[in-house]
Formats: sequence, C-alpha cells, structure tokens
Amino acid sequence: MSTFLQLLFSSLETGSVYALAALGIIIIFRTSKTTNFAQGSLGMFNAFVATIFLMSNNISPLVAAVVGMISAFTTGVVIDLIIMRRAKNISPLSKQIITFGLIMLLSGVAPMVFGTSPLSFPRFIQSGTLEMVSASITHNAFLNIGIGIAIMLSLFYFLQKTKWGLAVRVTASNEQTARLMGVPTKTVTMGAWAVAAALGTLSALMLAPAITVNISMMDNVQINALIACVLGGFQTFYGPVIGAYIIGLSKNMLVYYVSSTWGDAILYTLILGFMVFRPNGIIGKRIIKKV
Amino acid sequence: MDKKKILSVENLSIAFGGLKAVDNLSFSINEREIYGLIGPNGAGKTTVFNCITQFYRPNEGQVLFTKKDGEVLDLVGKKTHDIIKLGLVRTFQNVELIQELSLIDNLLIGAHIEFKTGIISQALRLRSAVKEETELRAKALGILEFLELKDKKDELASGQPYGVLKKIELGRTLMGHPKLIILDEPAAGLNDTETNKLADLIKLIRDQYKCSILLVEHDMRLVMDICDRICAINFGKKLAEGTPKEIQLNKEVQEAYLGKEE
Amino acid sequence: MKNMINSVYGKYILFGIALCLTPMLQSFGLISSATVTIFGTIIFYAIVGIGLNVLLGYSGLISLGTAGFMGLGAYISAYLTNDMKVPFIISLIVSVTIPLVIGLIIGLISLRIEGYYLAIATLGVAEIFRQVFIEFEVITGGFSGKSASYPKLFNLIQLDRALTFILMSVILVIIMILTNNFIHAPTGRALLTMRGSEAAAQAMGINLLKYKLIAFAVATLYAGLGGVLYVHFIRFAYPSTWSLTLSLQVLAIIVIGGMRTISGSIIGSFIVFGIPELVLKRLPVIGNIDGLSFIFTGILIITVVLFYPRGLVYFGSDIKKAIRSKKAADVSFKK
Repeated sequence: MSTFLQLLFSSLETGSVYALAALGIIIIFRTSKTTNFAQGSLGMFNAFVATIFLMSNNISPLVAAVVGMISAFTTGVVIDLIIMRRAKNISPLSKQIITFGLIMLLSGVAPMVFGTSPLSFPRFIQSGTLEMVSASITHNAFLNIGIGIAIMLSLFYFLQKTKWGLAVRVTASNEQTARLMGVPTKTVTMGAWAVAAALGTLSALMLAPAITVNISMMDNVQINALIACVLGGFQTFYGPVIGAYIIGLSKNMLVYYVSSTWGDAILYTLILGFMVFRPNGIIGKRIIKKV
Repeated sequence: MDKKKILSVENLSIAFGGLKAVDNLSFSINEREIYGLIGPNGAGKTTVFNCITQFYRPNEGQVLFTKKDGEVLDLVGKKTHDIIKLGLVRTFQNVELIQELSLIDNLLIGAHIEFKTGIISQALRLRSAVKEETELRAKALGILEFLELKDKKDELASGQPYGVLKKIELGRTLMGHPKLIILDEPAAGLNDTETNKLADLIKLIRDQYKCSILLVEHDMRLVMDICDRICAINFGKKLAEGTPKEIQLNKEVQEAYLGKEE
Repeated sequence: MKNMINSVYGKYILFGIALCLTPMLQSFGLISSATVTIFGTIIFYAIVGIGLNVLLGYSGLISLGTAGFMGLGAYISAYLTNDMKVPFIISLIVSVTIPLVIGLIIGLISLRIEGYYLAIATLGVAEIFRQVFIEFEVITGGFSGKSASYPKLFNLIQLDRALTFILMSVILVIIMILTNNFIHAPTGRALLTMRGSEAAAQAMGINLLKYKLIAFAVATLYAGLGGVLYVHFIRFAYPSTWSLTLSLQVLAIIVIGGMRTISGSIIGSFIVFGIPELVLKRLPVIGNIDGLSFIFTGILIITVVLFYPRGLVYFGSDIKKAIRSKKAADVSFKK
C-alpha cells in the first residue's frame, strides 16, 4: 500500500511535468495548427536562464523560476514576431519544420551561451516530508503537484470564462472567421507561443532537481508530452492534460512493477497499440473532412 | 421502358449533426443518358454526389450501380478509391489537377488503375513497366487529340487557362473505361462561348465513349441544353424529375429558384 | 558524349565518376584523409536524404525515426559481418529488410490518422531503438560501441577505404537512378497527386494508405542502407550517434537542398554535413564555438522555409535568371 501511495504521488508529480509541456503544445496546435516539436527545447533554454540567474543572485529558486518564465514568455513573443508571423501563409507542415529548425537553433545556442556542463537547480522547497500512511512525500512534491494543478485550473478558467479566453477558443475553432469577426488573432497566436514557452520552462524547472539542467534534459518530456496529446486527442485543450497524467502514472507503474529499463519502451508500444483502436485519442472526436 | 439503368439511388439520406442534407432521395440514370441534378445553392447537390462516390457514407439508402458484366452492386460502404474501378469517374468543382505535371502526365493519373506494375518494376524499368507506360501514354495522346490539345501535351498544368484545365480534367475521366462520368459544376467559371463548347464536348464524349453522364450543375443553360432528363432537388428532397421542358414549367422548381410570388 | 551529359542518367553517372576521384585526390596529397571521410559522410547521408525526400517531398509526411532506422541497419550489419561472419551482400539485404519491416508496421498504425501522427510515432520508436542500442550489448556493444570492417565482396575482394568510398559512390548513383525511375512513373505521379489533393487521388483510384506506406517504406529502406554504409565506412557505431538531432539534420538536408529533387538532397547533404566540417570549423575565433553547426543548420532551416521554400538547389538557376532579366531590363532601359 505504502509503495503504491508513494508511486501515485510521484506519478502525479511526473504527470504535472508532462501536463504543463503538453498544454503548451496543444495551445499552439489549436491556435496556429502547428505541432510544436520545440516545446522541450524552449523549456530547456529558459531553464538555463533561470539557473544562471539563480547562481549569480542570492534568491529563492521560486523567484528564479518566475524569472525563467518571464524570459520564456519573451522568447515566445520574439519567436512569434520574428518567425511565426512571417509564416502565416505557409502550410502547417512547413511551420512544423520551422519548429525543428528552432530545436537545432536552441540546442546550438545553449552550449554557446551557457557552456556544456550540466548545472544543478535546487528544489523549490529544500527539505521536509509529509508522512502519509507509511509513505513519505516531500513537501516539494506537494508543491509541484499543487502548482501544476493550480496553473492548469486557472488556464481553463481563463479559456472558458474570460473574454480573452473566448478569443483563443474562437481562433482555435476557425482562425479566418475569427479574424473577420474582429478577434485579434495575431495577439492570440503570439500569446499562445509566449504562454507555451513559459509552461515548458516551468515544466523543465520542476524536473531539473532530479536530472540537472542540461541540453538534453527535456528530450524525454517532449516525447511524452506529444504522446500525451496523441492519447488525449488534439481536439480539446483538456484531453492532452488527462493524457499526460495517464502517461505519468503508467510510466511509473511500468518502471516499478515491470521493468526499470524497458518501462518507457513498453509504454510507447502500448500507446502505439492503443492508436489502432482509438485513433483520435480518448477524448478525440472524428472529424468529417469536407470534399 | 426497357432502357437499362446504370445507376439508381434509392432512399438516400445523410445528416450532418442534426441537419438533414439529403432526405430520402431516389432517382436513376439510364445507360447513355445525360442526366442533370440541379438545385439552388445549398440544396445538397454536392452531398448527393459525394454519397454516390463514397466520399461520404450515407446514413440510409442504397446506391445501386450496374457493373460492366451486368451485375448490380450497392456502392455504399465501398472504399472511395475502389469506386473508379467499377467505371464510375468524377471531376471536381475547383479542378483538381497537379500543377507541376505536364498535361499528358495529368491524363495518365486518370489511368492510375490501369497500371499493373509495382514500384520495383518501375524503379528497375522492367520491360512490363516500360510497355504499359508507352501504351497508356499513346492512349493519353489520343485523348489529347480528341480534346484538340495535342500540341500542348508537354506544357505544365500550372499557368494554363481555365478552359484548358477543365478540358484536361474531363479528359482524365476518359483514361479508364468510364461507364458513368459525374461532373461537378463543369460550367462554373466558364464564359458563354466556353460553355457552349463544353456542351458539345460532353455530348461528343457520351457518343464516342458510350457512357452515361451525371451533371451536377448550377448553370441552368447548360443543363437545359444537353440533359435528357433532370432531377431538381431542394433542401435535400426531390422537387421534380423529368425532361428539361417539364422541369422548366414546374411551379415548385421555379419557386425554389426564383422565390415564391406573394 | 554530349548526349550523355544531357540525359539524366548521364549526369548521374558523370557525377558518380567525379565522386570516385576523391580518394585519388588524397593519394596525390591534394586533400586530407579527414576530407575523404567527410565526403563519405555526405554520400551516405545523401542516400538517406533521398529516401526522406520521397517521404516528405512527395507525401508531405515527416519521419523522426530516420536516425533510429539508420542505427538499426548499422548495428545489424556490423553484428552479422563481424560476429556471425555473414557475407557482406547477404548482411546488407538482411540489415535493410529488418528496418523496412518495422517501419511498415509503424506506418500501418500511424498513417491511418493525421499526417503529424507519423512524426510523433517515429519519435517514440526512435526512443525505443535508442534503449535497444544501449541495452542489447551482445549485438550493439552498448555504450562502448560496435566496430565493423570494410566490406568484403563475394567473400573474395576485401575492400580498403578508397574502394569502400567508390562502392558507396556507385550505390549512390544506383539509388539516384532507381529513385528517378519510379518518381517519373505511375508511383511518382500517384504520390504527387496525393500531395496535391487527397480527394482527387481517391477519385482516381489511388489508395492513400498504400502510397503513404510506399513513401515511408522507401524512407526507411534508404535509411537502413545509409546505416549499413555508415558502419562499414566509419567502422564504428555508438548509441549516441543515432539521436533525434541526426534525424533532424537529415530532414534539414531536404528542406535546405530542395524538396522533390534528387540533386537537392545531394546539395543539402553537402551543406548540412560538409560545410560545418570543411568551412565553419576552420574559421578563426567562431570556429571553436560549441554547437556552431547546429546554429548554422537551424538558422538555414528557418530562413529557407520562410524565404526560399523551393530549396537552395534552385539558387544557381534563379541567380542566372535574375541576371538575365536585369540585363534585359538594362537593354530596354537604354532603348
């Protein structure tokens, strides 16, 4: 029981990391029809920024995280202004290729600016655990799970209840009509890139204490976040989030109970199999293509 | 009435969401007939069309097609890419040609199902692959001659005038062995002279290739000109069926097109 | 002779002969041994690039498993020839068939859905491959890597480095000719139609799934072949080589070089794998910067997609055209 509880909480923590990244991917996908493969790289890059800032100033890691997210927000805006805005009229495929270019660019610039050696980023809460039944959960884990859920809930509130949220949803459903109706779709798309980059950075910083800040730190998260979108379906904002928690849970279970080496491989194979039966994901709807 | 039916649509219905786009529609087309399907914008013409060619799966009803050997087959549930093999070919409203291919290569796409060799024999240029390419290329050249476009055969499709593209798309349907050709608004975007020429061409195709033609059209002149029989629909339902004269005089059709007189 | 230069085959063969001269330049002391290695690298990545070009250029699909399939081919061939003493030719056939079969299964599952699912599925599969390369030490040598030797043809002729280079050039030319053949045949036309309009393709009787699978099969087949050539030319394979970055670099070959052209893949391979090694690393000051080649490739991908989407293969002819029209403009201006 205690192992299970321990696993459950660590799954929620992993799930939050994936969910934040997946949410970033789906926000961009829905507003600009681009599968952003550079989500992880954006997170990695700005995690370096946060870490460097933390190392040169005597501040709490939470403040550093905020700095990192602001820097990510700016990166997102810059990417939209300089690149994606010009790419307005090119095919989704070409936009996707641009995100591959971004991966290369960011993983080339990062070692140039921040050096090649991995850096360490501390937990938000250094010590302290909470004993539950017979499992001990760190305060930091609770904080991470809490931050993850709080951010997601506020984003969903924003999407469903506010005027700007409506603008995002309208853009997602039909960009052209939205533009004609006076929705500032350019700002929406820019915001999407900015928020996505910030979410990716937070996701990277939650993961950082466990694996250090290094150039390939987000590779695994990037894959899992994309697969979360496949699992949850690309048609809703919340599907990928649910997918992310399912992946976090099943990954930890497989790694613990089945095989620590092949856990990931088994999970990916299972999801590939799942795609045979539910090609549009758990939440996904079938879309009739107009001829 | 012992004319043989080539296609008969029976009790066809399809709904998108709650909206019934086609509602219990039945009509049939005889061999060697030019049949028109008309209706105002949004009447469901294209949907009927897509249900026949299996781009959409109808909710109810049958689409019965008489094969070359006389066997009658329900098309519903067949794979979209298998339809052409039965001799049922379509064109598109906004001309779907491949811009970076020459006109003759575009015609060869229409003969896709006629090619029997696979990628390996094509890569190795085996004799069988070269032979069928030569034969079908000759056939395509014949069709270009028929369309009076022979001297343009190696020009790219991009940049050609609209009339030429429409002709090539028509020619593409002739590359297989068509029994029924479905034309989706062939007169759209053409001027009067071009429309007249098109009318002649369609009749010529029917006579030379001994096939039936289903015309889905908005342009009344073309339909009245060349169709043997016409089916008028509105809101997915049949309004009337008959000869062009009968349709022209039909009150309901007039109302649907011109609005009710108060 | 003139006929030969004008025909496509003739051009390919002349190009191949020119390539074959590279090792001789080394024996005359004109270029270094490292340069020959770089040119060899350009050759096998060009082959992989041509395969991916069929996939991306003609069917608009992306595979991120390219490096994984290359690695699979490389390790299998290294194991078969070195440990099992299987003749090179048979090993080559087995080593491209296995990636092909795995590729077909993945394609069959993911291609039924939207196009971008293939990219994600292959990304996941590449991750599985990476784990396999590390863990299956018996075959792959794990982290310490796996060595292979220059090919021995028909158990008789042991090739040396120069001859292996020539063998690779010959295979590249053969691949160019075969690809050119099926691209200008019903298969190529069907792929183009599918890219232009899926609806029109279906109406013409083109089975979308079948042709997407064919395109993906070509990509995995060429990737496997590229991997085999890699391991027998470089003579060593490490798991870290077969990374996502490598898959992206191969993708960059096509994007930068030019889609739907065979020569584009070769120019692209030269730009992505040749220029950083031959030019950038020799530049003063910035030559030593870590990640310079990534920055170079990344920026090129983005700028080419945005400003020169047809690819750099057309650069020469476009410049010629520009000069000609400028001359014409000057002439008319003088009049």
